[in-house]
Amino acid sequence: MIEIASGKQSLHIANPVIGAAGIFGFAGEYGSLIDLAKLGAIVTNPVTYQPRRSAAGTRVVPLDSGVLIHTGLPNPGVHKLYREQAMRWKNSPTLIIVHIIGATPEEIANCAEVLEGREGVAAIELGLNDEIVPREVRATISGVKAKTQLPVLVRLPLYFAAHLATAAEDGGADALVIASPPRGTARDPISGQLIGGRIYGPWLKPLALRAVGQVARRTQLPVIGAGGIHNPADARDFIEAGAVAVQIDSIAWVRPEMVEIIARNLGGSEVTRVAGALPDEWRPGQGETAALRAQLLASPRTLLPPDNLPK
Amino acid sequence: VYERTAIIERVRRVSPTLQRLDIALDTLHKGIRPGQLFLARTTESLDPYLREPWTPIQADGRNITVERSNLNTYMPGQLVSLVGPVGKPIALREASRTLLLIAHESTPASLLYLAMTALSKNIAVAMVLLGAAQSYPIDVLPQEIEIIRGEGTTWGHQDKTLEWADQIVAVAPPPFDHDFYLALLMTIRKVRIEVVTGYAIGLFQPPMPCGLGACGACYIKQKGGELLACLEGPAFDLSAIEMAGK
Repeated sequence: MIEIASGKQSLHIANPVIGAAGIFGFAGEYGSLIDLAKLGAIVTNPVTYQPRRSAAGTRVVPLDSGVLIHTGLPNPGVHKLYREQAMRWKNSPTLIIVHIIGATPEEIANCAEVLEGREGVAAIELGLNDEIVPREVRATISGVKAKTQLPVLVRLPLYFAAHLATAAEDGGADALVIASPPRGTARDPISGQLIGGRIYGPWLKPLALRAVGQVARRTQLPVIGAGGIHNPADARDFIEAGAVAVQIDSIAWVRPEMVEIIARNLGGSEVTRVAGALPDEWRPGQGETAALRAQLLASPRTLLPPDNLPK
Repeated sequence: VYERTAIIERVRRVSPTLQRLDIALDTLHKGIRPGQLFLARTTESLDPYLREPWTPIQADGRNITVERSNLNTYMPGQLVSLVGPVGKPIALREASRTLLLIAHESTPASLLYLAMTALSKNIAVAMVLLGAAQSYPIDVLPQEIEIIRGEGTTWGHQDKTLEWADQIVAVAPPPFDHDFYLALLMTIRKVRIEVVTGYAIGLFQPPMPCGLGACGACYIKQKGGELLACLEGPAFDLSAIEMAGK
């Protein structure tokens, strides 16, 4: 098991690969394409205290090897969402982390309060807006921590991650997610208008990887890397840069099976010998898996029980 | 919804601008019905990034046919990753005897599977081609389909055609969809006393990154709420859609 949040309420996941917010829906939408049990956790789509409708106009703009998305973050509000999803979260094959957002610290704290003590909710991930300053980071996180005993992961904006990490730690964050997809602007080829939204693509990886390295050196909190991961090697780069786990995003739209491949690879359940080998031919510590586990062991942010040590 | 690898078995150039791909799916394929689509990927490259919507023009057991522009290159034996079937099938109205299909500024390909299904049930089919749809090579269409051409949002004998139709299914791509569907609905309301549920249907084709209802990018505004095109569409009853000026 890997410890990805280290506060009063720690959070352990069986696999260092997590489904990122905004990609995997509110629970098991990807269950027909991916064995969700292979993932360490799924972060839900963003949830607000009050219901939100989808954005008007263009919501998807294709980019070279990427995409810009502006959904407006539609959701039914935290109360209704929990009523709708309670059974699915409770019976989920993997841990559910609820991603909450809000216009004010109070709204975010109220959202967290609704989720407190709810069965099936393993942790909260806090989404911060891109223009937030350190003082607001501290206030928002401490406000949430005052309302919940759940582990609180904080997803920081990419370009200011290193700048805000210390404030997040001071505010009481249990882990940091580095980073949220950055915002961009692109021309919609259909309407001809300029559209703003979050951008996804493999070219984000170098930016996110640098931010992960910077943050990992500045804080004692577990760091979860996210951004541009499209194959197992990408994910391993984040581990090497100091992350204890990774979040997978838009590759799920491009090649859904790759999500499971990455999870199996980093989770040590991928057969790393020549194609054609059967799962029962794998043993712990075989092939690349052993190297990864040794790497994880070397990291002070990682906890592995003795029975998982490479042989 | 599932993800499967399929094989392009045959590539037929049916006109100077169009080619048809006969594709074999695997044994686990459960079938796709008119109105549903696949999200397809033909390359390992990440450009283009998102999957392309492929709506079959014909489906028979484990074989489907899709129509693509000749600008793209496909080869027999080429593998295709398909996610689907995405969306809900279009239901032909009970006891319907006439079906009017309308393509506005769009290829009518996404209506062809429905047209073939209707013809197989002895339902008379007429197709209106408006705007850019007029450039579609009609000699690739079944002879049984009556073709009507028109400009803008109107065509000759429009009222009579609308009175004739037991059901109307229209396709218009973004950004024309809302304006055209609104104009069509207004015209229908002038002609018919009542527009019952399921009478006038429009295909909405917003980009669908996931096809599973997970990403929330393809919501269509309805009276009293929003529905995901990838789950509840892409065909929606026009009288239930929230459109400005309705």
